[in-house]
Amino acid sequence: MTSQTRKILEFVLDNLVWFMLAFVLAVFSALIPNYFQTGIFTNIIEASSVLGVMSIGLALVIITGHMDLSVESVAALSAMAVGILFCSAGIGIGIKLSPEWLMVPVSLLVACAIGALIGFFNGFLVVKLKMSAFIITLASFIWVRGIVLAISGGRSAQDLAPAIRWFAIERLLGIPLSAWIAIACFLLFSVMMAKTPFGRHLVMIGGNETATFRAGIPVNRNLILAFVMAGAIAGLAGWLLAIRTSGATANLGVGLLFNAFAAVVIGGISLKGGVGGLPGVYAGVLLLSSINTAINLMGLPANYTQVIHGLLVLAAVLLDMFKQRLRARLA
Amino acid sequence: MTGKLLVLDNIRKNFGAIEALKGISFSIGKGEVVALLGDNGAGKSTLVKIISGGLQPTSGRMLFEGEEYQAKSPAQAKDAGIETVYQDLSLCTNVDVVGNFFMGREITRKVAGIPILDERAMETITRKALTDAGTRIPSLRTKVEHLSGGQRQAIELNRFVHWGGKLVLLDEPFAALGVEQTRRGLDMIRHVANQGIGVVIITHIMQQAFQVADRIVVIRHGVVAGDVERSKTSPDAVIEMITGQTLAGAGPASG
Ligand SMILES: Nc1ncnc2c1ncn2[C@@H]1O[C@H](COP(=O)(O)OP(=O)(O)OP(=O)(O)O)[C@@H](O)[C@H]1O
Ligand SMILES: [Mg+2]
Repeated sequence: MTSQTRKILEFVLDNLVWFMLAFVLAVFSALIPNYFQTGIFTNIIEASSVLGVMSIGLALVIITGHMDLSVESVAALSAMAVGILFCSAGIGIGIKLSPEWLMVPVSLLVACAIGALIGFFNGFLVVKLKMSAFIITLASFIWVRGIVLAISGGRSAQDLAPAIRWFAIERLLGIPLSAWIAIACFLLFSVMMAKTPFGRHLVMIGGNETATFRAGIPVNRNLILAFVMAGAIAGLAGWLLAIRTSGATANLGVGLLFNAFAAVVIGGISLKGGVGGLPGVYAGVLLLSSINTAINLMGLPANYTQVIHGLLVLAAVLLDMFKQRLRARLA
Repeated sequence: MTGKLLVLDNIRKNFGAIEALKGISFSIGKGEVVALLGDNGAGKSTLVKIISGGLQPTSGRMLFEGEEYQAKSPAQAKDAGIETVYQDLSLCTNVDVVGNFFMGREITRKVAGIPILDERAMETITRKALTDAGTRIPSLRTKVEHLSGGQRQAIELNRFVHWGGKLVLLDEPFAALGVEQTRRGLDMIRHVANQGIGVVIITHIMQQAFQVADRIVVIRHGVVAGDVERSKTSPDAVIEMITGQTLAGAGPASG
């Protein structure tokens, strides 16, 4: 194979998700009546904000060669905490702060702090006790959701304080502020991963942990930080989730994990670690969101959505395997 | 060879029931090149890892520049001025040549207080270091996974020459190199030693050891089986020490 064709093939492999996104949008626009309109596209971006933010955290951890299955439950717990504190109906206790805008940073801090704490717990066990991240975070996935059920007693909080709700209602260029938050997160963390030593080190740890350790990079500290970040970002996703639904229910966000997982893998993050970047993950999120919108427009019953999502996760993992094989042959 | 750079005193290392090192004692002087020889499984790599902070000795002590020394991590060894090239290469193949060259020592510039990688500066320095050493790599931005074994080894070697330090440990650094690159590598070692840096080189090739070393230390089954000046021994004598046909430490001076 000439180096020219190899370069082209690699470029296609690296950016496969963007081609898929363009392809899917083109097909849907051609086949589904009413799909092609700006309203739909802003809708797709809007609907993808929670999933997008959550996917960032998951991607960070997978890039280091580990796994975080707890992000969905963490988001739910953060949403429930915000709901209980700042909702005025249901199980909400309706704390009022003055001035009102103060509720925004306080609720945000609560959501992210809860996530960061659970992230630290996960990271500490994985890194210091050398336990499998898959098992540790699977346990967290279960017990954190258990706490959500326990503190809510299965009931819900409604009527979130308007000062916080503002983010879901106010729009800039037709897109709600909550979606801009997701976009800002993608920009911020993309820069972190691609341009700062910390991000570079996370990628290197995913590629060859021994080598980074020998090079004097604080591997354990960086790994724990990655888990803490994933937790805090999941907390932010929970905050957005509470805003979008104006409250929190006990089963809020169920199923998001698998969507996030699919988005990350379709977005080009390899499960073996060290490969992929966050811009691709955003494309993956948009791709899933486009498919969801298409399903809605075609009026398929919700049960089919789950079948399709399951198949998408499977397809994503197959795609990852296929790409790894192809890369091995290119190398 | 003025003053001892590193002194090893009765270093032992057990892996469970396996006694990999059974009390190793020798020393390395400033600007001295020590060839560390021994058969497969003799304990050479284990010793290197103990000096470079990757493993902790079960017992024994080390003096580095006259002071008690014990690295808890490779980072500490590096801070003390000890660079290592490992037998199984230490490159991140998912990252490009420049990224590997600067692994853990990235050049950054502050943008709004945040350290941002200065790719241009790093690429310039990497290019210069590789060109000076006569290593040809088509593009510094290709991922290391696309490079040949020799090219990878060259990156590691150039890395240690560039960063220098006080002591370098080379564990079979030329295993994947061609004739010309090996010759350059040996020159590099002499060059580094002439700057007063101590060098420990592990190799299985007798000729290399005799070409570059001031002193030859042989390890056999975890003990020092010989510690002789190169000018006072011969390849045959060393081979006898490695295979154990003479008594420990009694390398005959025939040559
Ligand atoms: N992490 C480990 N756990 C258990 N045993 C080990 C470990 N590392 C090394 N050993 C054992 O210690 C002994 C010395 O190994 P070492 O790698 O130091 O040998 P070496 O002299 O470098 O050999 P070679 O020339 O093949 O590289 C061997 O018996 C090896 O099996
Ligand atoms: Mg060895």
